[in-house]
Amino acid sequence: MKQRSLTQSMSWLHTWCGLLLGWVLFAIFLTGTLAVFDRELNVWMQPELPTRAVNQTLAAETAQRWLEREHPQATSWNIGLPTERAPSLSVSTGEQRRGVRTLLDAQTGEVLEARQTVGGNFFFRFHYTLHTPRNIGIWLVGFAAMAMLVAIISGIIIHKKIFKDFFTFRPAKGQRSWLDGHNASAVLLLPFHLMITYTGLVIFFLIYMPAALDVLYDGNRQAMQRDARAGSVQQQATAAQGEGRAVRGENTQAGGQRGEGRGEGGQRRGEHPVENAPLPPLADFIAKGEAHYGAGMLSALSVSNPGKADARVTVRPLLGSRIELTKGESLVFSAVTGKVLQAPPPSGASQLTQRVMAGLHFAQFGGYPMRWLYFICGLVSCVMIASGLVLYTVKQRKQAKGSRTFLNIAERINIASVAGLSVACVALLWANRLIPAELIGRGQWETRVFFGVWALSLLHAALRPVFVAWREQFYAAAALCLALPLLSLLNTFPMDGMRVGVEVTSVALGLLLGWLAWKIPASARSAPARKPRAARLAGAEQ
Amino acid sequence: MSLSHPAWSLLLRTLLALLGGYLFTYTATAALARLLPVGRYDAVVIASLLSFAVYTAFILWAYAVHSLSRLALAVALSLPLALIGFWPQLLELTA
Repeated sequence: MKQRSLTQSMSWLHTWCGLLLGWVLFAIFLTGTLAVFDRELNVWMQPELPTRAVNQTLAAETAQRWLEREHPQATSWNIGLPTERAPSLSVSTGEQRRGVRTLLDAQTGEVLEARQTVGGNFFFRFHYTLHTPRNIGIWLVGFAAMAMLVAIISGIIIHKKIFKDFFTFRPAKGQRSWLDGHNASAVLLLPFHLMITYTGLVIFFLIYMPAALDVLYDGNRQAMQRDARAGSVQQQATAAQGEGRAVRGENTQAGGQRGEGRGEGGQRRGEHPVENAPLPPLADFIAKGEAHYGAGMLSALSVSNPGKADARVTVRPLLGSRIELTKGESLVFSAVTGKVLQAPPPSGASQLTQRVMAGLHFAQFGGYPMRWLYFICGLVSCVMIASGLVLYTVKQRKQAKGSRTFLNIAERINIASVAGLSVACVALLWANRLIPAELIGRGQWETRVFFGVWALSLLHAALRPVFVAWREQFYAAAALCLALPLLSLLNTFPMDGMRVGVEVTSVALGLLLGWLAWKIPASARSAPARKPRAARLAGAEQ
Repeated sequence: MSLSHPAWSLLLRTLLALLGGYLFTYTATAALARLLPVGRYDAVVIASLLSFAVYTAFILWAYAVHSLSRLALAVALSLPLALIGFWPQLLELTA
């Protein structure tokens, strides 16, 4: 790259960075967009569970009755409260993350059986790990996110007429339309693309860039977290209770497990015997928690050493109680006296900045209007990436120079990574209904169907003519989306607003995919005729 | 393929941009965290949050700059930056 202009070198960088990482970026963005509705998909994927609204006070009473009857000796109890987006009551004992969750009917206290499923969590986990081991996946996705940043900024640099082009759309003009579509979707939501990419990196910022941590804390994350807490006002109970605190919080940066937290039970048991004391009604702590976090903003309760004098009740908020991402935060009460032992310290300015950025990415705030906004913006990001990928092949096809073999391969991968992945995502939902509910290891079978369908789409793309493969795969995705509600007709599960919402959205996406498939020409030759002028301009621009 | 072939220069540029750029960003973040006149916790958060912008800018510049030797020189700046960032640790090692 000798003596090329800035625009030329940035254009080269934009093309290759966008193409090579665009395949994986599309997968990250599509699954991330679907993960906006992860809880709703969870509910849809366990159709056996009732979703009638249950108030949390009643649920806490039911859970307490059940736990006192079944697990009076457990060192800790965890209660997942029914919430607007996750309307089932779950209980477990022992350390929260390891324990087997039992689902209860919040009114009668009966144990509910639901099919095992990967749920909408599959998309959430794929979004930041690409279904590889977590540590590797986080780095892969981080690398892709950096490529996205580079592609966005280099795209801005090569895009001289940024405002003019925003109003330019020349439909059905071959390459010009693809370029306009790519530009419009990119420029229209430029702040969103930048925000979502940068904040994605910020979630794991100390994993990706531990330099400052290494310099000032010798790489000790816990020491840093202690500083965060020491810097802010904190209600402390007694000095004796301080020891348990350092354990918490080391995972506040980890985006992995939602609503995680450590069962703090059993730490001091065995050191000295503690007297028995009856546990007051847990429902009381709902009101206390809501006084702090706001009505309907609680997600879980846990109790350590239930039935003992030193029992403690931990109240955990929903992630969406504010923009700031407060993962791992909780309010700890003495169960017997009802006094606050430990309240989450308010974040200092710098911590707040990081948490708000992470919160902007997690999109747990603002309720359903905000969720839809993120969903639609995410779809536009997907359109931008996909149109960029297609634009590369459309341009290359017209140029005599360049490797035909590589173009051929790129086109096939484009098909599998865009259309194929769409088919695979909706196939996962089909698998959820079609795999027998009582099958052992069901979740793994759902995952296998997802990857199997994706692999088949690559095979299909390799064997069929390019344009035919595009159309067929988009038609397949559209058909699966449109027919999703029929699956529910086969079964007799009760429907409710949330599950209907999932199916209506699926139908809407199916119509969109069908329209896309319909617009794709049957072959490159039947594509709209390119006027000589357009070809001339294409050489001048980009 | 001789060493002056464009493919080699591209490979070298890419390595310098990605790995050299990470090294530069790492040491620049370290130096910034050391120099910021704020509390230790705040310094870590501020410097780390900015690091992604630094890395992005470095990669873009690495492909924009004509001369590979200037690019290599920029990567070599990591050494003084590392000295600024890690001087207490280095003193400990030599003591």
